[in-house]
Amino acid sequence: MILKRHIPILIVTVIGLLTLFGWFIEQPTIQAFVDDDATQWYDILASFAIILGAMNLLKMQGRKVIKQQEGWGYSLFAIGGFIFSILAGFVIKGSESVAWGTHVTSKGTLFKWMFEFMFTPLSATMFALLAFFVASASYRAFRIRNFEATLLLVAGIIIMLGRVPIGSYISSWFVMYILVLLIGIAVNVKFGNKMITFSSVLTGLLIVTVAGMLTGWPIDQPGIFYLPIIQEWIYYNPNVAGARAIMIGIGLGIFATSIRYILGIEKSYIGE
Amino acid sequence: MKKIADFILKIGEMDRRWIFIIIALVVLLPLFFPIGLPIRPTDSTQTAYDAMDDLEHGSKVLMSFEYGPSTKPEIHPMTYAVLRHLFKNKHKVYITCLWPDGQFMAEEAIEEIAEQEFNLTYGKDYVLLGFRPGNEAVVKGIVSNIRKLYSTDARGTLTDKIPMMEGINKLADFDFIFTASAGYPGTVEWVQYGADPTGVPMSTGVTSIQVNEVMPYVQSGQVKGILAGMPGAAEYEKLVGIPGIGTSGMDAQSVAHVVIVLFIIFGNVAFFIERQRQKKY
Repeated sequence: MILKRHIPILIVTVIGLLTLFGWFIEQPTIQAFVDDDATQWYDILASFAIILGAMNLLKMQGRKVIKQQEGWGYSLFAIGGFIFSILAGFVIKGSESVAWGTHVTSKGTLFKWMFEFMFTPLSATMFALLAFFVASASYRAFRIRNFEATLLLVAGIIIMLGRVPIGSYISSWFVMYILVLLIGIAVNVKFGNKMITFSSVLTGLLIVTVAGMLTGWPIDQPGIFYLPIIQEWIYYNPNVAGARAIMIGIGLGIFATSIRYILGIEKSYIGE
Repeated sequence: MKKIADFILKIGEMDRRWIFIIIALVVLLPLFFPIGLPIRPTDSTQTAYDAMDDLEHGSKVLMSFEYGPSTKPEIHPMTYAVLRHLFKNKHKVYITCLWPDGQFMAEEAIEEIAEQEFNLTYGKDYVLLGFRPGNEAVVKGIVSNIRKLYSTDARGTLTDKIPMMEGINKLADFDFIFTASAGYPGTVEWVQYGADPTGVPMSTGVTSIQVNEVMPYVQSGQVKGILAGMPGAAEYEKLVGIPGIGTSGMDAQSVAHVVIVLFIIFGNVAFFIERQRQKKY
């Protein structure tokens, strides 16, 4: 009980408190521990975790192959890839002129070859496929079902067009004409009267046309209707506000969890 | 009218393989036949450029590579443009990596830019310190004692024997930090554990998807500007005056974005027609 429960909790509490105090106390030993030793400990523990991870990978994939479970062929590839990486990293350098250690990134070595001709194309292919799925998904799922979905869709379109050079070719007057038509749809939905809809659209079109003729149709004026400017506003205002709220929430969550660990309330690391 | 509605509905039920073919074409064609759309630097890119341009010649800049092959098309053009800018202004560049694949990216960038384009000397003008495991712990290690963390560089040379490491003991000894980041650990960790506690100014280049996460730090001034995705890279290339992969990729991205927007519009029109018909019958 003492070995399995009390001592681990004591270690976590003491180390947690030391690390926390290191930020607030002007004591060189504690500060050196927080800035230096604790991070080195983390590195050492992380290295052991890699070994555990590798063993777990072999165990899980190996079990699948032995029992010939569904998709066991992929597991065979995973094990093969793992063994090949180990060989390229620790056994076969592939070039005598390169020293062990630096062989990982040096030209002409097996590890570098593996990275360039296996890992890089596979990794890039996986990521590149996203473009196709995004296009297909946006076509099928991006629907104006309610107010929130409409807001998301409009913001998405503005960002997509405003971020790329083609967006700066779309005149703010064109955006205004689109807006007039959208207002027309809203008026029609609200009143359901063709005369009111027609007159509101006509008035809007006339106002935009006269204003354009008077100002000489500058592509980026008025700025509030120019896509690159609207997208920057979205990035800097609603987006940052949302991101900050999430960050503050996460921060408070981390703080609360840390306190639970230090006080010994949270004990999931010992299996409780 | 009914025929048009039927046609739109038919398009609405288009097999997704057609969408894949269209996307492949609109990405590939502009790469082979560039349109040459003009690029307008945004405020955030301009701020990043100005921050690095205002550094005194010969400043010590720490550049960190936190990306791999999957995000290479977005981030690599940025690092090329930033390296060109830094070397043009005779700055000393120290490269670290929080991601293991970042070291491969860094090797490639310095070979092309530092060695082939600028013909610079390793250890005198630039140094590749390389990858160390430990995520934010590495940043903290650099903050307190970089020599303890990096006793040798990525090529196995003792850091004590590298001329440009003279006077470099901790993060505060650098004049500027630039991080090229595609996720965790990356820009956020550099701000929280590196730039903020030491007061060393920093800027960053990130993938488009990461901009939301980093933007609060940019707006608060903790990060001097941001290169946001491939458009950010193209804008920086324009400011440096050397068009590269970022610029050539922008035509493809522009057309692809327009096509995706058209897909969304068509999909919604089809959705509305279908809904109206369902209400009717």
